Amino acid sequence: MKQIKSIGGQDLKEMFAAATNWLEKSAQDIDALNVFPVPDGDCGTNMLLTMRSSIEEASRAPDQNISQVAQAMAKGALMGARGNSGVILSQIWRGLAQSLNEKETIDGHELAQALLQASEMAYKGLSNPVEGTILTVMREAASAAQKQVAGGNGNVISVLEATVDAANESVANTPNLLPVLREAGVVDAGGQGLFTLLEGALLYLRGDVELMQFRKSRVIASSIPVTARPLQLSAEEEEAFGYCTEFLLKGENLDLDKLRKKLQSKGQSLIVVGDESTVRVHIHTLDPGNVVHYITSLGTLHKVSIRNMDEQHEDFLTMQKGRMPAVDMAIVAVVAGDGLADVFTSLGASAIVPGGQTMNPSTKDILQAVEAVPSDKIIILPNNKNIVPTAQQVESLTDKSIEVVPTESVPQGAAALLAFDYEADFETNAKLMTEAKSGIKTIEITRATRSTKLNGLAIKKKQAIGLLDGNLLAVNDELDDVLSELLARIDLDKAEVITIYYGDDTDEAEAEQVSTGIREQHPNLQVEVVSGGQPHYNYIVSIE
Amino acid sequence: MTVKIITDSTSDITSNLAQELGITVVPLTVSFGHEHFLDRVEMTTDDFYRRLASENIFPTTTQPSPSLFVDAYQKLAQESDEILVIVVSGELSGTYQSALSAKGMVEGKCRIEVMDSLSVAMGLGLIVIVATKMAQSGASLDEVAAAIKRRIPRSHPVMSFDTLKYLAKGGRIGRAQRLAGPLLKVRPVLTMRNGEVSPLTRLRSQKASLDYLYNFVAGIASIEELAVEHATTPDDADRLVERLSSIYPKERIYRSTVSPVLGTYVGPNVLAVSILEAEGK
Repeated sequence: MKQIKSIGGQDLKEMFAAATNWLEKSAQDIDALNVFPVPDGDCGTNMLLTMRSSIEEASRAPDQNISQVAQAMAKGALMGARGNSGVILSQIWRGLAQSLNEKETIDGHELAQALLQASEMAYKGLSNPVEGTILTVMREAASAAQKQVAGGNGNVISVLEATVDAANESVANTPNLLPVLREAGVVDAGGQGLFTLLEGALLYLRGDVELMQFRKSRVIASSIPVTARPLQLSAEEEEAFGYCTEFLLKGENLDLDKLRKKLQSKGQSLIVVGDESTVRVHIHTLDPGNVVHYITSLGTLHKVSIRNMDEQHEDFLTMQKGRMPAVDMAIVAVVAGDGLADVFTSLGASAIVPGGQTMNPSTKDILQAVEAVPSDKIIILPNNKNIVPTAQQVESLTDKSIEVVPTESVPQGAAALLAFDYEADFETNAKLMTEAKSGIKTIEITRATRSTKLNGLAIKKKQAIGLLDGNLLAVNDELDDVLSELLARIDLDKAEVITIYYGDDTDEAEAEQVSTGIREQHPNLQVEVVSGGQPHYNYIVSIE
Repeated sequence: MTVKIITDSTSDITSNLAQELGITVVPLTVSFGHEHFLDRVEMTTDDFYRRLASENIFPTTTQPSPSLFVDAYQKLAQESDEILVIVVSGELSGTYQSALSAKGMVEGKCRIEVMDSLSVAMGLGLIVIVATKMAQSGASLDEVAAAIKRRIPRSHPVMSFDTLKYLAKGGRIGRAQRLAGPLLKVRPVLTMRNGEVSPLTRLRSQKASLDYLYNFVAGIASIEELAVEHATTPDDADRLVERLSSIYPKERIYRSTVSPVLGTYVGPNVLAVSILEAEGK
């Protein structure tokens, strides 16, 4: 295993810059989890904005030792903190920075100590801390780090790994601690956000940069099984949530305790953090005017934000409604690339497991998606020959009914997904979908990563190579020549639709050009160009 | 005295057929901005799609005012003492409410019954045709109403769409919401279930949708009535009728077009079959 004895300021900054990007990919998923303290669906976004402000400030640190960088990040987080979880996150940074004070670099022991102090600081900002939230996740993660170093292993990576694993478990356990999560069938959004950040930092430190490009963090499945998702969908019956009121107060000799006491009676979810010159306040109140009025007597107000949470809540409900399962069956698909994920989602897949050629997901990855989907009957589309057996193992690991439609390519998966019959039962659908995939031809085109000889073809590095239904059959200098060659092997008289999914390093214009070529040669075919965003393959082509 | 049958213009019963069978069709209204047209009366399907294609205005529709029903009731009350009104699904239109409230505005001894068909297009049209045939063979209002009640669950309008954009825009998408917004070009196929728009499947080409519609009909063991209708593609409708003629007598297949009001929600290039499944299955 990779060993890292110590990290400095530059490392800290890079780790969390990468972690912020990692969080960005999942921010919307986290938003959708958000039910506590107010179901306004912005937790992921708030944490992301807080982190962005933190990272921005990090680059302004006067010195690149870990103490200065952490101070800057804490300051940035405080200045940019948004929402409940954002403010708590800024407290976490404050605790970290305090612990790292005057240090040039830190080892695993010092990291564990800093995490502990961060956890303590997080609790301090709140007048009545609630368990089953980001606080619990931070505390349990920090305590796992302590245990790890107590065992004598001071490797920074091992410490962070223990932290991330504990955070994962802690997040999964949040519904056991907080009834509102249990009712909604979700894990805590803030906790999930913190886990995602820590995970991102670990991945970066471990050097899994490529993985971070292609995958995104997943929403952790609740440790209690979710049978349905009885989210309240009518806003009328609910109490008013009032206004989420946030601002920075700048002044002299500010007394945080007094401020906290004074504001306590004015609303809920109160958080007061900072020092005697700068204080960040977050409160949910029905009368923001009253709060602001009181505060202006103490100093100057900055970055004032007052948001109507009832409105936010309605937006959230609309968002949830869009995500509500309408059938008792759900489809989990494995695809790589944002474009393909969007295509599969738009065609009705309930969950996407990132993965494909050269990046096969684990059984656990698929299992987690299966457990997270609020349906008891799940159809899995592996969309890759090598992933089919992995998907088939899921059945023995879950109580849910599983059908694996053994799709071996993205085009087969799309065809199977489209064949879903809304009036047919589970088994019939699996059958229909399996039948539908057989009528599809798949062409995959990529560039050779090394020179080799395969299937009697001499391939030079970087040459375009093409696979027809998984068999390497063509090689040429140009991608479109390979495509033409492979299309010529197919009886196109029987085909109706050709879909070209172009990869993330392929231009749309280039893909359009390829499609124009096909249209000219085969005017009877309907040719469609779709951004797949997949890695590895320049083109994945479906012929149906 | 023969029971008189009234329906609304979303039944897609053509004026020729209405005249031939003596069916009264109360029109809804389609509006382009401030211009209002009585469905099928003041605007034809072809005119409608021409305007839809050439203008940026998105048309809207209005249910018939109760007074239109009152007029129809009063006119028919002079010829008969029993009227059966069968209208479009209440989930899709307030026409049922208009017809019902008009009932209270008519005096006299003529008995009027209003039924929600839970269907639309020729799915409703075929029910109305069967009701008219029964009435003409001498059945009473109660007998016709009872027979229609049994047929309502066996009416299957199956429509293949080019896009669900219009349905979504018009707020009538119902359970077909799941099919909206695909990032691949697909042709959704929808039907009506319990009065609501409901998804069946999605297909990748016009040819595949023709196959699907044919197979849907072929999969029904016994057919009482069958209809084919189109919006802008008469050739496709011809082709479908030709194929269906191998399983059902061609001359008994009703042909129609979607009305402008319906066109507002289904958009161009739709193709539909409606099947009234025979009893006893």
